[in-house]
Amino acid sequence: MDSYFYLVIIAGLIAGASTGLLGVYIVGMRIPFIGTCISHAAMAGFIYGSFLTFRSASLTAISPVLGGIAASVIAALSLTAIRPDKPRMDTNVGLAIVFCLMLGLTFLGIGLNQGSRAEMLGLLWGNILFTDRSGTITIAVTALVLVLFSYIFSKEMKVLLFSRSIAAATGIHERFVYGLFLILCGVTLAVNLPLVGGLMIFSLVTCPAAAAYRICTGHKSVVITATVFGMLSALIGFLLSFYLNLPTGACIVIVSAIIFAMSAAYRAIRNGAD
Amino acid sequence: MSSGSLSLSGVEVKYGSRTILNVKNLQIPSGTFVGIIGTNGAGKTTLLKACCGLIKPARGTIKFGQKNLAGLSLWNKSNLRKRIGYIPQATEYNSELPFTLREVVAMGRISAKPLLTRLKKQDYRIVDDWINKLGLAGLSNQTFRTLSGGEQQKTLIARAMAQQPTILMLDEPCSNLDFNWKYQITEIIDRLYRQTNITVLMVSHDTNLLPSSCSRIVLLHEGNLLADGDTDNVFASEALEMAYGCRIEMLNVGGRRYAVNKKQPQEP
Repeated sequence: MDSYFYLVIIAGLIAGASTGLLGVYIVGMRIPFIGTCISHAAMAGFIYGSFLTFRSASLTAISPVLGGIAASVIAALSLTAIRPDKPRMDTNVGLAIVFCLMLGLTFLGIGLNQGSRAEMLGLLWGNILFTDRSGTITIAVTALVLVLFSYIFSKEMKVLLFSRSIAAATGIHERFVYGLFLILCGVTLAVNLPLVGGLMIFSLVTCPAAAAYRICTGHKSVVITATVFGMLSALIGFLLSFYLNLPTGACIVIVSAIIFAMSAAYRAIRNGAD
Repeated sequence: MSSGSLSLSGVEVKYGSRTILNVKNLQIPSGTFVGIIGTNGAGKTTLLKACCGLIKPARGTIKFGQKNLAGLSLWNKSNLRKRIGYIPQATEYNSELPFTLREVVAMGRISAKPLLTRLKKQDYRIVDDWINKLGLAGLSNQTFRTLSGGEQQKTLIARAMAQQPTILMLDEPCSNLDFNWKYQITEIIDRLYRQTNITVLMVSHDTNLLPSSCSRIVLLHEGNLLADGDTDNVFASEALEMAYGCRIEMLNVGGRRYAVNKKQPQEP
């Protein structure tokens, strides 16, 4: 095999691990929709970022990525406006509204940018086969920051997952940690988007974590299992697509769903045996 | 160590233009057991949430000991709340996650620890101590979601107590429990109060669930303080009948007080 093959595998493993880990918090807080919401914000950011590129050549490669990250972070942080103590609106309803706005902005951007529609729409699907060294390094660094975050703030995030009300009422710096988490969520989803695509990122955020929650006991074991499941989804999905000559994204999504189904079945059997 | 006293003056909480809580003056000295009662929608939970800073009042001041909550930065406000043991209603925590009982109780130690630090052996000693005190030792490694409602409530009480709070705030701790569990939880709260003498604020729409150590009652009605005083006086007052909208008869069974709806004489 050539080195490119391994680069794709490494990129896939990193993307799977970081989305799997992120999923622990996203699924635990019951906001899986944040995956699609932020990835569309990132798409809008990429598109408007590339407008800038068009106008000034010096920003060539960087501005779409920065645009994507900026839009994702703004979209993610808009959720801090929904406080746990004033449940006038469910977070998921807020997410749906931000999602609609971002989708509108995305299609407006595509409409204004007559040039490369195919490339824009490619973001929706993503393509792991288009990865390069610098893209892999970017997601690796982001993944590292995410791992550090979940290690450093593991005790605070645990309480946030259990109850944001308890966290806020009992003196945990809930807004600070939640805000930090949302920023990281935005950045992670944005940098992984070109590789994984908006639709696949949704499944990689949701399935491995949901599977881990089915079968694990204790927070630490959920974190590790979800990360491993994320990596397995990416690896098995990619290898299947490679050897059977099938679309990569679709294979990864299906593998992640199968991992969830197996976990759910395992729990059902285990509970039945008790 | 912050004092367990609480002082509210001119506190008004609004949802939009509707005032849902209006407390002109409420002083709670350290070490008092206060029962907050009233019908559904009277503003009990809102009062509790305003006290622990979850709801920001439109006007008025809330003081912990000498410190005014409103005058503090978000960061300092969080620090002040480290000594509030808060037990929310069942809808406000995610009981589906596979946390073990011990993990949930250990969450009580987390606010005492600064960011970037981990729980130490000493913290786990406090955690295990409370698990034992509440008779949960055998369930320590079970996941929270597999516990019964009563056991979950005990776990949450252990979690709050592991904080070593100066104020314990309980929001309907007995809802969704059968009558034996209701009694057990009430007894636990009673015992905790007698042993530690911390300030306790317990919200209950059912007056019969307040333990005998509850010496003071705050009766809310449509967001207003209808009565505030000794338990016996408030229970004997007409305010209770007014708030609940029915004739009330107080029964005394084995030293426990029960308020029941007085049976109206049948028309012949």
